Amino acid sequence: MLSSTNLYKSFNIVQNVLLQQTRNTFVLKRRYPPPLHKKNGKLPKMKARHFIYDLVQDTNVVKQPHISVILKTFVQGVGKEGDVLTLSHNVAYKDYIVPGLAVYHRPENAEKYQQKDQNTLEEAEFSSPYAQRTMGCLSRLVLQITMNKLEPWILEKWHVRVSFRKAGFVVPEEAIEMPSIVIKGPDLSLQEKEFYVTVTINKTEKVNVRCRIHHWATGLDRLEWSEFHWKKPLEALIPEQAEVLEKMPLPT
Amino acid sequence: MASRIQATVRQLSKSYKKKTKFDIGIATELPAAYKKFWHEWKVLKPAAVHFVPQEGKWKRDEITGETLPIQNIPIPLKYPAEFHEGIWGGEAVIKGFQKRDNRRRRVPHYWVPVLKRTVVRSEVLNTNLSVTVTDRTIRLINDHYGFDHYLLKTPACDLKSMLALKLKKQILTELMNGCHRHAHDPQKQKEIYEEYKTYLSSYTPEEIEWYGLSWYEALHKVAAQKEAANKPVPLKNIYRKNLVEKLKAAGIEEHKTATDELSTTTSWLSKMNPFGKKDEA
Repeated sequence: MLSSTNLYKSFNIVQNVLLQQTRNTFVLKRRYPPPLHKKNGKLPKMKARHFIYDLVQDTNVVKQPHISVILKTFVQGVGKEGDVLTLSHNVAYKDYIVPGLAVYHRPENAEKYQQKDQNTLEEAEFSSPYAQRTMGCLSRLVLQITMNKLEPWILEKWHVRVSFRKAGFVVPEEAIEMPSIVIKGPDLSLQEKEFYVTVTINKTEKVNVRCRIHHWATGLDRLEWSEFHWKKPLEALIPEQAEVLEKMPLPT
Repeated sequence: MASRIQATVRQLSKSYKKKTKFDIGIATELPAAYKKFWHEWKVLKPAAVHFVPQEGKWKRDEITGETLPIQNIPIPLKYPAEFHEGIWGGEAVIKGFQKRDNRRRRVPHYWVPVLKRTVVRSEVLNTNLSVTVTDRTIRLINDHYGFDHYLLKTPACDLKSMLALKLKKQILTELMNGCHRHAHDPQKQKEIYEEYKTYLSSYTPEEIEWYGLSWYEALHKVAAQKEAANKPVPLKNIYRKNLVEKLKAAGIEEHKTATDELSTTTSWLSKMNPFGKKDEA
């Protein structure tokens, strides 16, 4: 009796599972096992009830063990050659093995790629696996520096730092290199100008970040909102920077 | 009388062997290499994918304490046409019933594997292929450390699908010929050959030639071979040869010039006027 109630309960669970789409290998079980047959003899005569199956296991629910792969080349944001990554089956296969970025972690491969790793350790292109990604993010950024429209100010490093923080980047002040001229305000002509500051990542990589000044005020003094202002090409504030700014791509 | 008939029947039944596929018609001429492949493909039992086989030979009934043999009857699988266009890693369609409630009638149900299209890379063939697979296939490829290793290590009864078998055959042929697709890079060619050459030891060149052929392909191959071997020779060639030999036997010196003339005239005529009149030739 006890076993039958248990079976009933488990069956209800199975039913709930079956209502959803399942991405798995179905492991089934006959509910009514067929009768025994002679050794090496004919199979027993099967009736319809012998084809009633219950789901035993849903391989989607079972957690799959991760596999490890060895990187063949430097991969941005992941690691350098010879690094061992532990990933899920599908991710490892789809993102690393098929594009040829990594090989399976086998003794032969470990030997082959580990040795190369030791030789090229000093020649690593970037200071960290994430440096290249950060450089990309910063070079695409249009940094809006919000300054007061009514109170007089001189643009300083900490203004830029705060603006970076508002845009989601924590940049220490010593990593910021300000433009050569002193920028003073409030000056509404700055609203239509742009310049760049240079950020040093890990004291090695240098990136130019496009900056624009926005004059802030409340009430009637507030400047009118212009749509997609970050896409508009603007004039360079400092003539020496014009060439570099032209080469930096604007967001589209 | 009756006992005598029984005795003969018994005797005959011992010597009588039921005719198989290979004992009828042109199939009798199929080579042993193909029979071996057929055995690997159709006769061997595939690995249990859709059920959990019970371990051991015997088990004891919990209630009665009776000892019973363990007989694993595999769940029958369906192989649709699409099965042969992908590599499903041993999975297939199951047709059966579900009993969703004890008080209700069973309902028919098909359990179909979830298929997806992905890229597989073959090192030996030096190509990427877009193939329909299941999650299980990818797991198997990863467990075998690569697509080629998976195909070469897995017997035909587990691969089952025509696509997988054809690829396996192609890979084996390529290995046998020494990886020509990597000819531009001799070092890599050597590396790959060294890695995969162990698999060649279990096949002879003839077996590779007959590997991965369906029943009808194999029959066609036999028929084609037979036809090529017994190609009919035109009678005119035979008669001409006989005539020349007869003439030679009669007197070499006398007819030497005549035979030369004959050969030149016939060749010239056959070139210029193949449908000429009889008295001209």
